[in-house]
Amino acid sequence: MTLLEERKWLPHLVGGIGIFLSLLVWGVLEYWLETQLPFTPFLHTYHPWLILIVGIAISILLAATISNAQVAHQRELRLQQMNEELQKEINERINAEESRQKLEIALLQGQKLQAMGTLAGGIAHDFNNILYAIVGYVEMAREDVDKESLIYTNLGKVLEATQRGRDLVARILAFSRRQHHQFEAIQLKPTIEAALALLQPTIPASVMLHFEATVDPMILGNQTQLHQVLVNIINNAVDAMDAEGEIRIRLDRMPPGHPLLKHLPALPGQNYCKIEIKDTGHGMDPHTMKRIFEPFFTTKEVGKGTGLGLSIAHSIIKEHQGEIIVTSKLGHGTTFEILLPEYKAA
Amino acid sequence: MAKILLVEDDDLVRDMLTQVLQRASHTVTCATNGEDAAEYLKKEMPDIMVTDIIMPKKSGITLISEVKNRHPEMEIIAISGGGRLDPTGYLDLSESLGASVSFEKPVDNTALLMAIDLLLHGKKEKVE
Repeated sequence: MTLLEERKWLPHLVGGIGIFLSLLVWGVLEYWLETQLPFTPFLHTYHPWLILIVGIAISILLAATISNAQVAHQRELRLQQMNEELQKEINERINAEESRQKLEIALLQGQKLQAMGTLAGGIAHDFNNILYAIVGYVEMAREDVDKESLIYTNLGKVLEATQRGRDLVARILAFSRRQHHQFEAIQLKPTIEAALALLQPTIPASVMLHFEATVDPMILGNQTQLHQVLVNIINNAVDAMDAEGEIRIRLDRMPPGHPLLKHLPALPGQNYCKIEIKDTGHGMDPHTMKRIFEPFFTTKEVGKGTGLGLSIAHSIIKEHQGEIIVTSKLGHGTTFEILLPEYKAA
Repeated sequence: MAKILLVEDDDLVRDMLTQVLQRASHTVTCATNGEDAAEYLKKEMPDIMVTDIIMPKKSGITLISEVKNRHPEMEIIAISGGGRLDPTGYLDLSESLGASVSFEKPVDNTALLMAIDLLLHGKKEKVE
Protein backbone atom coordinates (compact mmCIF):
# COMPACT_ATOMS: atom_id res chain seq x y z
CA MET A 1 0.00 0.00 0.00
CA THR A 2 2.86 2.38 0.76
CA LEU A 3 3.79 2.34 -2.95
CA LEU A 4 0.34 3.70 -3.77
CA GLU A 5 0.32 6.44 -1.17
CA GLU A 6 1.09 9.95 -2.34
CA ARG A 7 2.45 8.79 -5.72
CA LYS A 8 0.08 10.38 -8.21
CA TRP A 9 2.52 9.88 -11.08
CA LEU A 10 2.50 6.08 -10.65
CA PRO A 11 -0.49 5.27 -12.98
CA HIS A 12 0.98 7.52 -15.67
CA LEU A 13 4.35 5.87 -15.31
CA VAL A 14 2.93 2.36 -15.42
CA GLY A 15 0.66 3.27 -18.38
CA GLY A 16 3.55 5.01 -20.16
CA ILE A 17 5.94 2.10 -19.64
CA GLY A 18 3.22 -0.32 -20.84
CA ILE A 19 2.53 1.70 -23.99
CA PHE A 20 6.25 2.13 -24.58
CA LEU A 21 6.84 -1.60 -24.25
CA SER A 22 3.86 -2.32 -26.52
CA LEU A 23 5.27 0.06 -29.16
CA LEU A 24 8.69 -1.51 -28.76
CA VAL A 25 7.32 -5.01 -29.24
CA TRP A 26 5.23 -3.81 -32.17
CA GLY A 27 8.29 -2.15 -33.79
CA VAL A 28 10.46 -5.21 -33.29
CA LEU A 29 7.79 -7.49 -34.67
CA GLU A 30 7.05 -5.20 -37.62
CA TYR A 31 10.67 -4.83 -38.50
CA TRP A 32 12.31 -8.08 -37.57
CA LEU A 33 9.66 -10.71 -38.08
CA GLU A 34 8.33 -9.35 -41.36
CA THR A 35 11.77 -8.94 -42.87
CA GLN A 36 13.31 -12.11 -41.47
CA LEU A 37 10.39 -14.42 -41.16
CA PRO A 38 7.62 -13.02 -43.38
CA PHE A 39 5.64 -16.17 -43.75
CA THR A 40 5.46 -17.52 -40.22
CA PRO A 41 2.02 -18.63 -39.04
CA PHE A 42 2.54 -16.52 -35.92
CA LEU A 43 2.15 -13.33 -37.91
CA HIS A 44 -1.01 -14.60 -39.50
CA THR A 45 -2.56 -15.25 -36.12
CA TYR A 46 -1.03 -12.46 -33.98
CA HIS A 47 -0.43 -9.49 -36.21
CA PRO A 48 1.87 -6.85 -34.59
CA TRP A 49 -0.97 -4.32 -34.74
CA LEU A 50 -3.12 -6.59 -32.64
CA ILE A 51 -0.32 -7.10 -30.12
CA LEU A 52 0.12 -3.31 -29.96
CA ILE A 53 -3.55 -2.71 -29.35
CA VAL A 54 -3.72 -5.41 -26.67
CA GLY A 55 -0.52 -4.04 -25.05
CA ILE A 56 -1.87 -0.51 -24.99
CA ALA A 57 -5.21 -1.74 -23.64
CA ILE A 58 -3.47 -3.70 -20.85
CA SER A 59 -1.31 -0.66 -19.98
CA ILE A 60 -4.32 1.64 -19.79
CA LEU A 61 -6.21 -0.94 -17.71
CA LEU A 62 -3.26 -1.33 -15.37
CA ALA A 63 -2.90 2.46 -14.99
CA ALA A 64 -6.63 2.82 -14.35
CA THR A 65 -6.56 0.05 -11.74
CA ILE A 66 -3.65 1.67 -9.92
CA SER A 67 -5.37 5.04 -10.09
CA ASN A 68 -8.61 3.57 -8.69
CA ALA A 69 -6.71 1.83 -5.89
CA GLN A 70 -5.05 5.13 -5.04
CA VAL A 71 -8.38 6.97 -4.94
CA ALA A 72 -9.90 4.21 -2.79
CA HIS A 73 -6.93 4.32 -0.42
CA GLN A 74 -7.15 8.11 -0.15
CA ARG A 75 -10.84 7.84 0.67
CA GLU A 76 -10.07 5.23 3.29
CA LEU A 77 -7.43 7.50 4.82
CA ARG A 78 -9.81 10.46 4.84
CA LEU A 79 -12.49 8.33 6.47
CA GLN A 80 -10.02 7.11 9.08
CA GLN A 81 -8.97 10.71 9.77
CA MET A 82 -12.59 11.79 10.10
CA ASN A 83 -13.23 8.91 12.48
CA GLU A 84 -10.26 9.92 14.60
CA GLU A 85 -11.42 13.55 14.67
CA LEU A 86 -14.89 12.44 15.64
CA GLN A 87 -13.53 10.17 18.37
CA LYS A 88 -11.35 13.04 19.64
CA GLU A 89 -14.36 15.35 19.73
CA ILE A 90 -16.43 12.73 21.54
CA ASN A 91 -13.64 12.26 24.10
CA GLU A 92 -13.34 16.02 24.56
CA ARG A 93 -17.06 16.30 25.12
CA ILE A 94 -17.03 13.40 27.57
CA ASN A 95 -14.12 15.01 29.45
CA ALA A 96 -15.84 18.39 29.46
CA GLU A 97 -19.05 16.80 30.70
CA GLU A 98 -17.18 14.92 33.43
CA SER A 99 -15.39 18.12 34.47
CA ARG A 100 -18.67 20.01 34.45
CA GLN A 101 -20.30 17.36 36.63
CA LYS A 102 -17.36 17.31 39.03
CA LEU A 103 -17.46 21.09 39.33
CA GLU A 104 -21.20 21.17 39.69
CA ILE A 105 -20.84 18.81 42.63
CA ALA A 106 -18.02 20.96 44.01
CA LEU A 107 -20.16 24.08 43.58
CA LEU A 108 -23.11 22.50 45.35
CA GLN A 109 -20.83 21.34 48.13
CA GLY A 110 -19.41 24.87 48.33
CA GLN A 111 -22.87 26.40 48.69
CA LYS A 112 -23.85 23.83 51.28
CA LEU A 113 -20.65 24.43 53.21
CA GLN A 114 -21.13 28.19 53.00
CA ALA A 115 -24.55 27.81 54.58
CA MET A 116 -23.10 25.50 57.19
CA GLY A 117 -20.32 28.02 57.79
CA THR A 118 -22.88 30.69 58.67
CA LEU A 119 -24.63 28.21 60.92
CA ALA A 120 -21.34 27.18 62.49
CA GLY A 121 -20.48 30.82 63.24
CA GLY A 122 -23.81 31.17 65.07
CA ILE A 123 -23.31 27.91 66.94
CA ALA A 124 -19.80 28.97 67.95
CA HIS A 125 -21.13 32.27 69.34
CA ASP A 126 -23.84 30.60 71.41
CA PHE A 127 -21.54 27.82 72.48
CA ASN A 128 -18.93 30.31 73.70
CA ASN A 129 -21.59 31.96 75.84
CA ILE A 130 -22.66 28.61 77.29
CA LEU A 131 -19.06 27.66 77.99
CA TYR A 132 -18.35 31.01 79.58
CA ALA A 133 -21.33 30.65 81.94
CA ILE A 134 -20.21 27.13 82.91
CA VAL A 135 -16.59 28.17 83.45
CA GLY A 136 -17.59 31.26 85.44
CA TYR A 137 -19.99 29.46 87.76
CA VAL A 138 -17.65 26.49 88.26
CA GLU A 139 -14.74 28.79 89.12
CA MET A 140 -16.89 30.61 91.67
CA ALA A 141 -18.13 27.32 93.12
CA ARG A 142 -14.52 26.15 93.45
CA GLU A 143 -13.68 29.28 95.41
CA ASP A 144 -16.40 28.33 97.88
CA VAL A 145 -15.30 24.77 98.65
CA ASP A 146 -12.36 23.24 100.42
CA LYS A 147 -9.43 22.77 98.05
CA GLU A 148 -8.84 19.28 99.42
CA SER A 149 -12.44 18.18 98.85
CA LEU A 150 -13.73 15.84 96.14
CA ILE A 151 -16.14 18.58 95.02
CA TYR A 152 -13.17 20.84 94.26
CA THR A 153 -11.46 18.08 92.24
CA ASN A 154 -14.64 17.18 90.37
CA LEU A 155 -15.32 20.80 89.51
CA GLY A 156 -11.78 20.86 88.13
CA LYS A 157 -12.83 18.02 85.80
CA VAL A 158 -15.75 20.15 84.62
CA LEU A 159 -13.26 22.87 83.75
CA GLU A 160 -11.14 20.34 81.85
CA ALA A 161 -14.22 19.32 79.88
CA THR A 162 -14.93 22.94 79.03
CA GLN A 163 -11.40 23.20 77.66
CA ARG A 164 -12.31 20.48 75.15
CA GLY A 165 -15.41 22.48 74.30
CA ARG A 166 -13.24 25.54 73.66
CA ASP A 167 -11.02 23.55 71.29
CA LEU A 168 -14.05 22.32 69.41
CA VAL A 169 -15.41 25.85 69.03
CA ALA A 170 -12.00 26.97 67.76
CA ARG A 171 -12.18 24.23 65.12
CA ILE A 172 -15.75 25.15 64.18
CA LEU A 173 -14.66 28.75 63.75
CA ALA A 174 -11.70 27.68 61.64
CA PHE A 175 -14.12 25.75 59.44
CA SER A 176 -16.55 28.62 59.13
CA ARG A 177 -13.75 30.69 57.60
CA ARG A 178 -14.27 33.56 59.93
CA GLN A 179 -10.61 33.78 60.81
CA HIS A 180 -8.47 36.40 59.19
CA HIS A 181 -5.45 35.02 57.45
CA GLN A 182 -2.61 36.92 55.95
CA PHE A 183 -2.04 36.04 52.32
CA GLU A 184 1.34 36.47 50.70
CA ALA A 185 3.19 35.29 47.62
CA ILE A 186 4.58 31.85 48.38
CA GLN A 187 6.43 29.20 46.42
CA LEU A 188 4.25 26.11 46.34
CA LYS A 189 6.95 23.44 46.05
CA PRO A 190 8.83 24.32 49.29
CA THR A 191 5.45 24.78 51.01
CA ILE A 192 4.50 21.19 50.15
CA GLU A 193 7.96 19.94 51.09
CA ALA A 194 7.73 21.64 54.47
CA ALA A 195 4.30 20.10 55.13
CA LEU A 196 5.62 16.66 54.17
CA ALA A 197 8.63 17.12 56.46
CA LEU A 198 6.18 17.89 59.28
CA LEU A 199 4.14 14.80 58.47
CA GLN A 200 6.88 12.29 57.77
CA PRO A 201 7.67 11.41 61.41
CA THR A 202 3.99 10.70 62.12
CA ILE A 203 3.48 8.37 59.15
CA PRO A 204 4.07 4.64 59.63
CA ALA A 205 7.19 3.33 57.90
CA SER A 206 5.02 0.92 55.87
CA VAL A 207 3.34 3.87 54.13
CA MET A 208 5.50 5.28 51.34
CA LEU A 209 5.25 8.99 50.66
CA HIS A 210 6.40 10.22 47.22
CA PHE A 211 6.52 13.80 46.06
CA GLU A 212 7.16 14.89 42.53
CA ALA A 213 7.06 18.43 41.16
CA THR A 214 7.32 19.31 37.50
CA VAL A 215 7.09 23.03 38.27
CA ASP A 216 7.52 25.41 41.19
CA PRO A 217 4.70 27.92 40.82
CA MET A 218 4.05 30.89 43.06
CA ILE A 219 0.62 31.42 44.59
CA LEU A 220 -1.02 34.03 46.78
CA GLY A 221 -1.87 32.24 49.99
CA ASN A 222 -1.26 31.37 53.59
CA GLN A 223 1.44 28.81 54.22
CA THR A 224 0.06 27.61 57.57
CA GLN A 225 -3.38 27.06 56.08
CA LEU A 226 -1.97 25.14 53.14
CA HIS A 227 0.06 23.00 55.54
CA GLN A 228 -3.19 22.26 57.34
CA VAL A 229 -4.88 21.21 54.08
CA LEU A 230 -2.06 18.81 53.19
CA VAL A 231 -1.80 17.44 56.72
CA ASN A 232 -5.56 16.80 56.88
CA ILE A 233 -5.73 15.07 53.49
CA ILE A 234 -2.59 13.00 53.98
CA ASN A 235 -3.58 11.94 57.51
CA ASN A 236 -6.92 10.80 56.10
CA ALA A 237 -5.09 8.87 53.37
CA VAL A 238 -2.90 7.18 55.99
CA ASP A 239 -5.99 6.23 58.01
CA ALA A 240 -7.58 4.80 54.86
CA MET A 241 -4.67 2.44 54.36
CA ASP A 242 -4.91 0.19 57.41
CA ALA A 243 -1.28 -0.87 57.49
CA GLU A 244 0.64 -0.22 54.31
CA GLY A 245 0.38 1.58 51.03
CA GLU A 246 1.58 4.47 48.97
CA ILE A 247 0.73 8.15 48.82
CA ARG A 248 1.82 10.04 45.72
CA ILE A 249 1.83 13.80 45.69
CA ARG A 250 2.36 15.57 42.41
CA LEU A 251 2.63 19.27 41.64
CA ASP A 252 1.80 20.29 38.07
CA ARG A 253 0.81 23.34 36.10
CA MET A 254 -2.52 23.36 34.27
CA PRO A 255 -2.37 25.37 31.07
CA PRO A 256 -5.20 27.82 30.32
CA GLY A 257 -7.92 26.12 28.33
CA HIS A 258 -7.78 22.84 30.22
CA PRO A 259 -11.32 21.35 30.32
CA LEU A 260 -11.38 21.52 34.13
CA LEU A 261 -10.47 25.20 34.10
CA LYS A 262 -13.22 26.15 31.66
CA HIS A 263 -15.64 25.91 34.57
CA LEU A 264 -13.49 27.76 37.07
CA PRO A 265 -13.78 31.46 37.74
CA ALA A 266 -10.28 31.93 36.37
CA LEU A 267 -9.04 35.15 34.90
CA PRO A 268 -8.53 34.90 31.15
CA GLY A 269 -5.16 33.37 30.43
CA GLN A 270 -4.46 32.65 34.07
CA ASN A 271 -2.53 29.54 34.92
CA TYR A 272 -3.68 27.20 37.62
CA CYS A 273 -1.47 24.73 39.38
CA LYS A 274 -2.61 21.36 40.57
CA ILE A 275 -1.59 19.40 43.65
CA GLU A 276 -2.64 15.80 43.22
CA ILE A 277 -2.69 13.51 46.25
CA LYS A 278 -3.26 9.91 45.30
CA ASP A 279 -3.45 7.08 47.81
CA THR A 280 -3.73 3.33 47.55
CA GLY A 281 -6.19 3.12 50.44
CA HIS A 282 -9.53 1.37 50.47
CA GLY A 283 -11.32 4.20 48.66
CA MET A 284 -14.87 5.41 49.20
CA ASP A 285 -18.32 4.56 47.96
CA PRO A 286 -20.24 7.30 46.09
CA HIS A 287 -22.35 8.12 49.17
CA THR A 288 -19.29 8.76 51.36
CA MET A 289 -17.58 10.68 48.56
CA LYS A 290 -20.58 13.01 48.24
CA ARG A 291 -20.44 13.90 51.93
CA ILE A 292 -16.69 13.92 52.45
CA PHE A 293 -16.40 17.73 52.80
CA GLU A 294 -19.38 18.12 55.11
CA PRO A 295 -18.49 19.21 58.61
CA PHE A 296 -18.83 16.55 61.29
CA PHE A 297 -19.10 13.80 58.67
CA THR A 298 -16.69 11.03 59.60
CA THR A 299 -16.31 7.36 58.87
CA LYS A 300 -13.87 6.96 61.74
CA GLU A 301 -14.70 5.44 65.11
CA VAL A 302 -16.21 7.69 67.75
CA GLY A 303 -13.48 9.77 69.34
CA LYS A 304 -10.99 9.14 66.51
CA GLY A 305 -12.01 11.94 64.23
CA THR A 306 -13.99 15.15 64.55
CA GLY A 307 -15.17 15.11 60.94
CA LEU A 308 -13.83 18.60 60.46
CA GLY A 309 -10.48 17.92 58.77
CA LEU A 310 -11.63 17.78 55.16
CA SER A 311 -14.29 20.46 55.55
CA ILE A 312 -11.58 22.77 56.89
CA ALA A 313 -9.37 21.81 53.92
CA HIS A 314 -12.28 22.60 51.58
CA SER A 315 -12.95 26.00 53.11
CA ILE A 316 -9.24 26.90 53.06
CA ILE A 317 -8.93 26.06 49.36
CA LYS A 318 -12.07 28.09 48.63
CA GLU A 319 -10.54 30.98 50.54
CA HIS A 320 -7.56 30.68 48.19
CA GLN A 321 -9.94 31.05 45.18
CA GLY A 322 -9.20 27.43 44.34
CA GLU A 323 -11.07 24.20 43.92
CA ILE A 324 -10.74 20.81 45.55
CA ILE A 325 -12.05 17.75 43.76
CA VAL A 326 -12.17 14.19 45.00
CA THR A 327 -12.41 11.01 42.94
CA SER A 328 -12.55 7.61 44.52
CA LYS A 329 -13.68 4.05 44.00
CA LEU A 330 -14.21 1.53 46.73
CA GLY A 331 -11.14 -0.70 46.83
CA HIS A 332 -9.19 1.46 44.38
CA GLY A 333 -7.88 4.35 46.47
CA THR A 334 -8.71 8.04 46.48
CA THR A 335 -7.38 11.03 44.57
CA PHE A 336 -7.66 14.64 45.71
CA GLU A 337 -7.00 17.34 43.13
CA ILE A 338 -6.35 20.81 44.50
CA LEU A 339 -6.41 23.61 41.94
CA LEU A 340 -4.91 26.94 42.94
CA PRO A 341 -4.56 30.09 40.83
CA GLU A 342 -0.97 30.89 40.04
CA TYR A 343 0.34 34.25 41.18
CA LYS A 344 2.33 36.48 38.90
CA ALA A 345 3.99 39.48 40.50
CA ALA A 346 2.92 42.69 38.78
CA MET B 1 -14.36 49.63 94.31
CA ALA B 2 -15.70 50.52 90.88
CA LYS B 3 -19.06 51.31 89.40
CA ILE B 4 -19.46 48.99 86.44
CA LEU B 5 -22.08 48.88 83.70
CA LEU B 6 -22.40 45.33 82.41
CA VAL B 7 -24.04 45.00 78.98
CA GLU B 8 -24.82 41.40 78.08
CA ASP B 9 -27.86 39.81 76.46
CA ASP B 10 -27.22 36.24 77.63
CA ASP B 11 -28.90 35.73 81.04
CA LEU B 12 -26.51 33.03 82.21
CA VAL B 13 -23.39 35.01 81.35
CA ARG B 14 -24.85 38.24 82.72
CA ASP B 15 -25.78 36.69 86.07
CA MET B 16 -22.47 34.89 86.34
CA LEU B 17 -20.45 38.01 85.52
CA THR B 18 -22.52 40.08 87.97
CA GLN B 19 -21.62 37.63 90.72
CA VAL B 20 -17.94 37.57 89.70
CA LEU B 21 -17.76 41.39 89.71
CA GLN B 22 -19.70 41.74 92.93
CA ARG B 23 -17.43 39.21 94.63
CA ALA B 24 -14.57 41.49 93.69
CA SER B 25 -16.45 44.29 95.51
CA HIS B 26 -17.55 46.19 92.42
CA THR B 27 -20.98 47.78 92.06
CA VAL B 28 -22.69 46.34 89.02
CA THR B 29 -25.56 47.65 86.92
CA CYS B 30 -26.84 45.44 84.16
CA ALA B 31 -28.27 46.18 80.73
CA THR B 32 -29.50 43.47 78.36
CA ASN B 33 -28.68 45.25 75.11
CA GLY B 34 -26.98 48.30 73.63
CA GLU B 35 -30.12 50.39 73.61
CA ASP B 36 -30.82 49.92 77.34
CA ALA B 37 -27.16 50.67 78.04
CA ALA B 38 -27.31 53.92 76.04
CA GLU B 39 -30.45 54.93 77.98
CA TYR B 40 -28.71 54.24 81.30
CA LEU B 41 -25.65 56.24 80.24
CA LYS B 42 -27.84 59.32 79.70
CA LYS B 43 -28.53 59.34 83.46
CA GLU B 44 -25.54 57.67 85.07
CA MET B 45 -21.81 57.59 84.47
CA PRO B 46 -20.07 54.35 85.45
CA ASP B 47 -16.28 53.99 85.84
CA ILE B 48 -16.10 51.14 83.41
CA MET B 49 -18.42 49.59 80.87
CA VAL B 50 -18.09 45.86 80.15
CA THR B 51 -19.97 45.03 76.97
CA ASP B 52 -20.75 42.05 74.82
CA ILE B 53 -20.66 42.61 71.05
CA ILE B 54 -23.45 40.60 69.44
CA MET B 55 -26.67 41.80 71.03
CA PRO B 56 -30.21 42.55 69.87
CA LYS B 57 -31.50 46.12 69.24
CA LYS B 58 -28.08 47.77 69.38
CA SER B 59 -24.81 45.90 68.99
CA GLY B 60 -21.76 46.36 71.17
CA ILE B 61 -19.85 47.85 68.23
CA THR B 62 -22.43 50.65 67.77
CA LEU B 63 -22.61 51.17 71.52
CA ILE B 64 -18.82 51.50 71.87
CA SER B 65 -18.66 53.93 68.98
CA GLU B 66 -21.48 56.13 70.42
CA VAL B 67 -20.16 56.02 73.97
CA LYS B 68 -16.64 56.94 72.88
CA ASN B 69 -18.04 59.92 70.94
CA ARG B 70 -19.97 61.23 73.93
CA HIS B 71 -17.67 60.14 76.75
CA PRO B 72 -14.13 59.72 75.40
CA GLU B 73 -12.79 59.22 78.94
CA MET B 74 -14.98 56.15 79.58
CA GLU B 75 -13.04 52.91 79.94
CA ILE B 76 -14.62 50.12 77.95
CA ILE B 77 -13.96 46.38 78.06
CA ALA B 78 -15.33 44.39 75.12
CA ILE B 79 -16.07 40.67 75.30
CA SER B 80 -17.14 38.48 72.39
CA GLY B 81 -17.76 34.89 71.47
CA GLY B 82 -17.83 35.53 67.73
CA GLY B 83 -20.68 35.38 65.26
CA ARG B 84 -20.43 36.39 61.64
CA LEU B 85 -16.77 37.11 62.29
CA ASP B 86 -14.54 35.17 64.63
CA PRO B 87 -14.21 36.67 68.15
CA THR B 88 -10.86 38.33 67.39
CA GLY B 89 -12.41 40.05 64.39
CA TYR B 90 -15.02 41.77 66.58
CA LEU B 91 -12.54 42.49 69.32
CA ASP B 92 -10.03 44.10 66.93
CA LEU B 93 -12.86 46.25 65.64
CA SER B 94 -14.02 47.22 69.11
CA GLU B 95 -10.48 48.16 70.15
CA SER B 96 -10.08 50.26 67.02
CA LEU B 97 -13.28 52.08 68.03
CA GLY B 98 -11.91 52.86 71.46
CA ALA B 99 -12.38 49.87 73.77
CA SER B 100 -9.45 49.79 76.21
CA VAL B 101 -9.25 46.02 76.50
CA SER B 102 -11.01 43.13 74.83
CA PHE B 103 -11.51 39.48 75.75
CA GLU B 104 -12.55 36.46 73.81
CA LYS B 105 -15.28 34.31 75.38
CA PRO B 106 -14.97 32.15 77.42
CA VAL B 107 -13.13 34.89 79.30
CA ASP B 108 -10.54 34.19 81.98
CA ASN B 109 -12.31 36.03 84.81
CA THR B 110 -9.10 36.54 86.78
CA ALA B 111 -7.65 38.38 83.79
CA LEU B 112 -10.88 40.38 83.46
CA LEU B 113 -10.75 41.48 87.12
CA MET B 114 -7.08 42.33 86.74
CA ALA B 115 -7.86 44.45 83.67
CA ILE B 116 -10.59 46.30 85.60
CA ASP B 117 -8.13 47.02 88.43
CA LEU B 118 -5.49 48.25 86.00
CA LEU B 119 -7.95 50.51 84.20
CA LEU B 120 -9.21 51.92 87.51
CA HIS B 121 -5.64 52.45 88.65
CA GLY B 122 -4.81 54.25 85.41
CA LYS B 123 -7.88 56.41 85.79
CA LYS B 124 -6.92 57.39 89.31
CA GLU B 125 -3.43 58.26 88.14
CA LYS B 126 -4.91 60.47 85.46
CA VAL B 127 -7.12 62.25 88.03
CA GLU B 128 -4.23 62.71 90.47
